[in-house]
Amino acid sequence: MTLSIRDLRVSFGKTEILRGIDLDLEVGECLALVGESGAGKTTLGLSVMGLSRGSASGEICFKKRSLFGISAEEFRELRGAEMAMVFQNVEDALDPVQRIADQIAEAIAVHRSINARNASRLAVRHLSNVGLNKEKARMYPHQLSGGEKQRALIAMALVNDPDLLILDEPTASLDALTKADIIELLRSAIVGRMCMVITHDLSLAASLAERMAVLYAGRIMEMGRTEEILKGPRHPYTRGLIRSYPAMNATKDLQGILGQMVHGLPGCPFHQRCTQRIDICSLEVPEQTEKDGRIVACHRGGIVPLLEIKGLSLTLDCYPVLCDLDISLCEGETLALVGESGSGKTSLSKAIMGLYEPDRGAVIMEGRRVEKRDSAFYSRVQMIFQNPRESVSHRTNVLNAVMEPLMVQKRGSHEQRLQRAKEVLAMVELPIDHDFLHKYPHQLSGGEVQRVAMARALALGPKLLIADEPTSALDPSVQAKILKLLMNLQDQMGLAILFITHDIALARKISDRMAVMQSGRIVEEGATNEILSRPSHPYTRRLVDCALGRYDEGNGDIILDRDVAELIAEPGDQSALEKYC
Amino acid sequence: MHIDALGEISHDPLARAGALMLAVIAGLAIFAPLFSNYSPHDYTGNIFSPPDGDHPLGTDSMGQDIWTRLLYGARTSLLVAVAVALISTSLSLLVGASAALVGGLYERLCMRIIDALISLPTIIVMILVAAYLRPSLPLLILLISLFSWPGGARIIRSQVLSLKQRMHINAALTFGAGKGHIISRHIIPDLSPIICALMMQDARRAVFMEAGLAFLGVSDPTVISWGKMMNQALAFTYLDVWQWWLVPIGLALSATLIGISFLSFSLETAIDPRLRRDESIEESMSLARRA
Repeated sequence: MTLSIRDLRVSFGKTEILRGIDLDLEVGECLALVGESGAGKTTLGLSVMGLSRGSASGEICFKKRSLFGISAEEFRELRGAEMAMVFQNVEDALDPVQRIADQIAEAIAVHRSINARNASRLAVRHLSNVGLNKEKARMYPHQLSGGEKQRALIAMALVNDPDLLILDEPTASLDALTKADIIELLRSAIVGRMCMVITHDLSLAASLAERMAVLYAGRIMEMGRTEEILKGPRHPYTRGLIRSYPAMNATKDLQGILGQMVHGLPGCPFHQRCTQRIDICSLEVPEQTEKDGRIVACHRGGIVPLLEIKGLSLTLDCYPVLCDLDISLCEGETLALVGESGSGKTSLSKAIMGLYEPDRGAVIMEGRRVEKRDSAFYSRVQMIFQNPRESVSHRTNVLNAVMEPLMVQKRGSHEQRLQRAKEVLAMVELPIDHDFLHKYPHQLSGGEVQRVAMARALALGPKLLIADEPTSALDPSVQAKILKLLMNLQDQMGLAILFITHDIALARKISDRMAVMQSGRIVEEGATNEILSRPSHPYTRRLVDCALGRYDEGNGDIILDRDVAELIAEPGDQSALEKYC
Repeated sequence: MHIDALGEISHDPLARAGALMLAVIAGLAIFAPLFSNYSPHDYTGNIFSPPDGDHPLGTDSMGQDIWTRLLYGARTSLLVAVAVALISTSLSLLVGASAALVGGLYERLCMRIIDALISLPTIIVMILVAAYLRPSLPLLILLISLFSWPGGARIIRSQVLSLKQRMHINAALTFGAGKGHIISRHIIPDLSPIICALMMQDARRAVFMEAGLAFLGVSDPTVISWGKMMNQALAFTYLDVWQWWLVPIGLALSATLIGISFLSFSLETAIDPRLRRDESIEESMSLARRA
């Protein structure tokens, strides 16, 4: 009693729309197929129903019976009776010149020997099951609302009690309340059946399906349990989909995936739009590999962990600044490091950059432990310093400031450096005319200097950007522009950003994850929306309260706890102090 | 903050006056043969002759033309000034900057040597050394340099130490810059006004020291020096000759020192923001006082 699909390939003319799909579906299981439009979701559904007009190869086994090679007549008997599909476009799926009840009675009569009256009675009963009364059953499709038509279609699909139910965008173009009703209806409808939900609506997938497959250009990119995928996507494409979906609990601004889907590319279908592609991605199709019940098709094993910090401790002038820190940061991810000033945020960034020598612990970059920071390291990791006016030398003009990193790393000829400098300046939306290039920092506004500092950090094309309070000196409108810029760069280059700030409201809008620091330790870490909605550590709770403007309630607490914190950090750490000195 | 020190002092009247004085003296020294008909070693035959058409400042006890010797004496003073400024400042830069950049034992060693050199009584050591070795102009230049670099090295070291912590140097480090790049692109350019000031100070001290040592008799006998001329003139103060023999030399020496001082004073004001006279600030201060 299962559906299994092996290496299904469907092509229309020369373009291959499905490129080797492997799927299994058990009874009582619901699988959501998600992906951008054009990914091949509907083609997959139609292929299973035997309705796809493309030329197919591979194997579809339904109830231990191959669906390839059976006659059209046999397939017709299966359709409607054992497998049913709720079609995508409600307006077109119903016959406009027949009453609803008659259309459903027809569906019954096709598969059973039943007289017209009984069929009609059965149809009306089924319609009332989905919430359409007798009067509605007598109506023509154009007299019904969208939600009612959707109900009628669901009734039609369920009328012969099929084992496999394929729902193609069952709630598209419905308002939120109707959608909620339909979801309720579908939940009861899918019980005890195999079900495939084809949708680009992640919240629908989350509420109906326990498993989810992410389709891109005819390949399954990632498959696994729905909630796990939504919480922690492992494939860059899945992450892109989630970031572009306006979920109610998302705090970060929406980010789209750049580029367009192209069918028939050699290698990984996603490689053109992927920010972490390597040479092999355009040559070979990645195998699906399973790990912890999650299937991911990626040459790099999914989203790459870029930076890992393990057990980092730092002492400055006999005073422990960082104690046993662990942090990890993935490609294309923003981690906000928040905490009051003096909690060690900037020291951490300087320790990563090698400006401070840590006592213990490892900095691991792209899986390799960083022993010596050479130019290769610095071309991967760059930093934007807290105060742009100080970080750009007062005796260099804009052009020389931006060209300095290229000069240090001896990249290309002078003309190429000039070209690159103009490129990055344009990237941060600064003018590249002769006048501007020859201005000195003191002739620029705060926002402009900050962008110059940003441009020179980007000149080497880093994968990791450490931004230390990059907007603390700017007014909100310039700040908004600069943050948008950073997010765009993240979309374009898969930039991982370690964003250091004390502004929780700011961190909320730009970060995927958040780490809260207090006296050199990380007290809480997790997805930004979860930390902000359910802060578990008292210090985090206080930070969030203060950011919300609730000062009064915890006022006494703040003073008390701060004293305690200082006691812990200073004299309490006698042993630590002695150890360090 | 952006400070264009050299651009700033070019508008300062004090600096302009200093530069003018130095230019006149340097011009006279360089083109000495054009301004005099004699060689400084010529004996005219007349001794103690008062100023006249042939001898603008008269002649000395040996019958040599004082004006000519004054011009050629300027050459010695300026040569010593320039040579000492270059050697001494280079030493200061080399030791001070390397101590700050290398740090550790090397730095401590350097600083203790500097302390030791500063605590030596300069003049006495120089007289002893010059008396022991045969005094010559190159030796004098070396000796003066040797005693004037330690102070500069201290200043340079402290500047480099503070520069090392600057953000833009940190930023350059995060581009993967090596020491060579940091020194040539950031530290030297940022030090340049300080180096200029140090050179002026060294030059001023060198002129003074050279004249002083020559006055005390520590000098190359074949070299014409203002200090030596003053020493000779002093022997004849009971005659009237000092009016055109001693006084012009004293004035020339003073003019050279004052010229250099004016320049360095102006430069110092430009470099050190605390010495700046910012009119807007003073105005607001006085307003506040009145309020």
